[in-house]
Amino acid sequence: MGATDLSRLSRRDFLKNGFVFGAGAAGLAAGYAAVPDVFARAVYGGKRDGVMNDRVLVMIQLAGGADGLQTVIPLQDPRLRTLRPQLSQAANTALPLDGNFGLNRSMRGVKTLFDQGKVAIVHGVGYPQPNYSHFDSIRIWETGDPMRRQQDGWLGKTIAANYDSAGHPLVGCACGSSEIPGALRDLDATLSVVNGQNTFKFNGTDAERAMGVIYNGTPGIYGALFDTSVFSARDTMARLRLAREKYTPRAAYNDNVNLVYSSRNQLASALQLAAQLIISGVGAKILHVTLGGFDTHDQQMARVDSLMGYVDSAISAFHADLTAYGMADRVLIATWSEFGRRAAETANGGTDHGAAAPMFLIGDTVKGGFYGEAPSLSALDRGGSLKYTVDFRQVYQEILESHLQVDAQEVLGKQFERIAAVRTA
Amino acid sequence: MGRQGKKTAPAGPTRRKVLVTALAAGAGVAGARILGLRNLDASGSLTTAMDEMDMSMATAMGDPMDDYDAMFGVPDDSFFGAQDLDPANVPQPRPATLPAVNVRPGVAVQPPISGIGAPKLAGDVDWISPLSKESAKVTHLLRRATFGATDAELDRAQSEGFARTIERLIDSPFVEPPVFPAPAAPRPSASPSMAPRASASPSARPSASASAMPSPTSAPITTFTMRPSATPAPTMAAAVPTASASAPAVMTNTTSINIGNLQGWWLDWMTKSPTPFAERMTLFWHGHFTSDYRKVGTNSPAIYWQNLTWRRMALGDFKSMLLKVTPDLAMLRYLDLAASTGRAPNENYARELLELFTMGVGNYTEDDVKAAAKALTGWRLPTRAEATVQTGIFDTRRAYSGAVTFLGKTGTFNTESVVDTILAHDATAPYIVRQLVTSFVTPSPSDAYIARLADRFRRSRYDTKLLMRDILTSPEFVAPETFRSLIKSPTDFMVSTAKALGATNLSGTIRQYGSTLGQNMFDPPSVAGWADGATWISSNTMLQRANFVTAAIGSMRTTPSAARAHERHLDSVLAQGTVNEFNLARDDKSRWFAIFASPEFQLK
Repeated sequence: MGATDLSRLSRRDFLKNGFVFGAGAAGLAAGYAAVPDVFARAVYGGKRDGVMNDRVLVMIQLAGGADGLQTVIPLQDPRLRTLRPQLSQAANTALPLDGNFGLNRSMRGVKTLFDQGKVAIVHGVGYPQPNYSHFDSIRIWETGDPMRRQQDGWLGKTIAANYDSAGHPLVGCACGSSEIPGALRDLDATLSVVNGQNTFKFNGTDAERAMGVIYNGTPGIYGALFDTSVFSARDTMARLRLAREKYTPRAAYNDNVNLVYSSRNQLASALQLAAQLIISGVGAKILHVTLGGFDTHDQQMARVDSLMGYVDSAISAFHADLTAYGMADRVLIATWSEFGRRAAETANGGTDHGAAAPMFLIGDTVKGGFYGEAPSLSALDRGGSLKYTVDFRQVYQEILESHLQVDAQEVLGKQFERIAAVRTA
Repeated sequence: MGRQGKKTAPAGPTRRKVLVTALAAGAGVAGARILGLRNLDASGSLTTAMDEMDMSMATAMGDPMDDYDAMFGVPDDSFFGAQDLDPANVPQPRPATLPAVNVRPGVAVQPPISGIGAPKLAGDVDWISPLSKESAKVTHLLRRATFGATDAELDRAQSEGFARTIERLIDSPFVEPPVFPAPAAPRPSASPSMAPRASASPSARPSASASAMPSPTSAPITTFTMRPSATPAPTMAAAVPTASASAPAVMTNTTSINIGNLQGWWLDWMTKSPTPFAERMTLFWHGHFTSDYRKVGTNSPAIYWQNLTWRRMALGDFKSMLLKVTPDLAMLRYLDLAASTGRAPNENYARELLELFTMGVGNYTEDDVKAAAKALTGWRLPTRAEATVQTGIFDTRRAYSGAVTFLGKTGTFNTESVVDTILAHDATAPYIVRQLVTSFVTPSPSDAYIARLADRFRRSRYDTKLLMRDILTSPEFVAPETFRSLIKSPTDFMVSTAKALGATNLSGTIRQYGSTLGQNMFDPPSVAGWADGATWISSNTMLQRANFVTAAIGSMRTTPSAARAHERHLDSVLAQGTVNEFNLARDDKSRWFAIFASPEFQLK
């Protein structure tokens, strides 16, 4: 909510003044043209001159507050057993990454990637004055603003500042959702939400044709907005059809993990859709998927194992798919959650809302290893939560600057200390 | 987000070119003709031809250009029957140049690859306004002040006329929705006595007896007899659903509610209420004084009671409104006022009160926020023992007792004096007026219009009923540039569709599509409410609006005849695309699709 705001006006005028139509579309034959090589690697310029960055970001939201201590498990700290008599048993079955930490036993795929140097684990990610409300803390992570003054999502701002989303609405896409996630929202960005590629379509038998007839030359101050929006929808649908034609998965996306609590969004099918969009070169740049179920207030042992198993198999298959298509060097996966969980377990084997937790950065562009400083189990904050050692915006900054090569300060408002976890192109 | 759109607004396009289309209403498809179009071409070549026509086509009805004649045939005068082409009614042209735009440099653009034909944009062509006609004023009023109309409502309003309908909307007492059912609960105990209410005057420092102890035994007990009628009395303090042999259990402030059912309950009432202006006003206040069920919680009926409160206060004076809003249970939770104490004041409510609810940024300082936060402390939620209390309780011991300097005045403040000070400030009346005007009239009101309304609003001691009457009777409300200058919110769009179709059980579908379209009741994206206007429109929302229309039409075994739909619902002012599709449609269901999915219907 800043000074003179051009949100609606700038978007409409951007459509009128900035849209490039015509030559390309008219030159293509009726029906779907073959996708030229140059389009197969979706190329978007950043704001910096001469930078052509064809990289893709996939943010995976673990919704509910994912427990860091049962994911990246301290192996040597005796305090873990004192704080978590039951849950500390996870250390017995953990997959050791080094002498001090192990991965949850369900994460074999990520362990393999870690051994290949493709996983960066950032310890202790959080922000000052932790907020224990789901609602508020999600907003903080989505907007990149612990003061909760900002309205737009950090990814939405990134898109609005750097990419032609009005002409290519798949630049920012939420896969497997039915509404735009807060992290992607921005008044100046056109975003896609594709719940499933099979559902992103007009339901009436004649509706697509009818909408194409109706939305041409619409008068009035919103006319261009209407017409281009309908065009974008139809264009996106066509691209999705194209993507389906050109893509066959080369990894196994069906997982046999028995999920204890069903998640509203199927992460594996969402990532498969993401892979499809990336591989078929329809212009996807920033993708967002969500897995829910992490708010484990009681009896969390088996449940967290299950959830992380689900995450692990989905990420592994996704990475294998991209590798098979030769695109793994372009895609970065990052996980985020609104907070970690309390260091001590509750009487019924669960945990309350906490604060700092680790973040994963996974991909071929990652410089593998550990970053940040693991919060001490002996120096918890007053509420009994882990104290943060890395501000989450440091990780955002690294993603923006090193992976996407865009101006992070424009999005985050200021500079942060660098976490050098990603190789620049 | 909603506030961003309410500050500066875009100037519109010029009216140098006017596109006139009309559809002769024949007896069904056979009788309908399009304005001279022969070879319909969905790829857009038609609009290219249209683009070459200019004013001469519109004004020279009997004197078409030669190539126009060859392309389109001679237009029949009857096509223009409903149009008012008096040049005196064409409004002043708007500035041709739009304000400088922050076009982002250096963004590489990739040509589209899908083969879908790009739409030919109309540029600065505008809708021609029919608002000089009485019948169009009536439909305009019903779109803006209610949710469109059923056939019966439309007929009634047309027969009464514009002015009389305004009076009826504003002066008819608001009919309450049916009591929201509480979940099945054990039968209440035999004792009819209940714990006392909180003081009805939330701003007063209450007597020690009422606030001293939370336990009801130490405070005066009031005995109620069970009222046989299910209709709650229209005062906040007295409203409690009654219990009878078969009615749901009495709702206490720990009764859980199901949010989906509550959303359906309200959407249903929006469609069926005999006083839909009440629902329109309630929806406005819901978006203005926001709260969100996710934070408020559904383990109490607070968010339901808040809906009732907003409806009952909707046309009251603004001071009374603020005195009801502040201690409202849902609001106390949502903006943390219940957690705010004199020793540890929480600034959330104070900030949003100034920033979003009354004055807007730039009219107060951070110190004012801190001062207000202190002054507003003392409110708390009722305890379990105060089970039937439906509003916040003021406890002096929790309140800040010192002096503060607020908006330039120093002294000891309480909630009421904070409100009085806000209302004495020059910025308040224009701010509220602007919120209402941008919601009911135009996205770009002139400063003079705002000032005129604000002046009367302030002098009337912030009488909202007077303000709404002023707005609806203002010349700006029916000015040509007001026509179709607002975009229907998803709720507006879907409820209007339901009413136009005469559909009675679409609330489940509306709820489902509310999620994809970005608006669910009791679930705003942030404390700023819903961003209105152009933000409703995107590739996704246009797709899903069309899918909603398909679902709505598909849900009805028989649909009413669509023969006159373009007249009744679109004022016979249609864009070429809509005309084309309407004439291609083979049956009523397809015609209704064209009507409801059209840009004309997205606008109001």
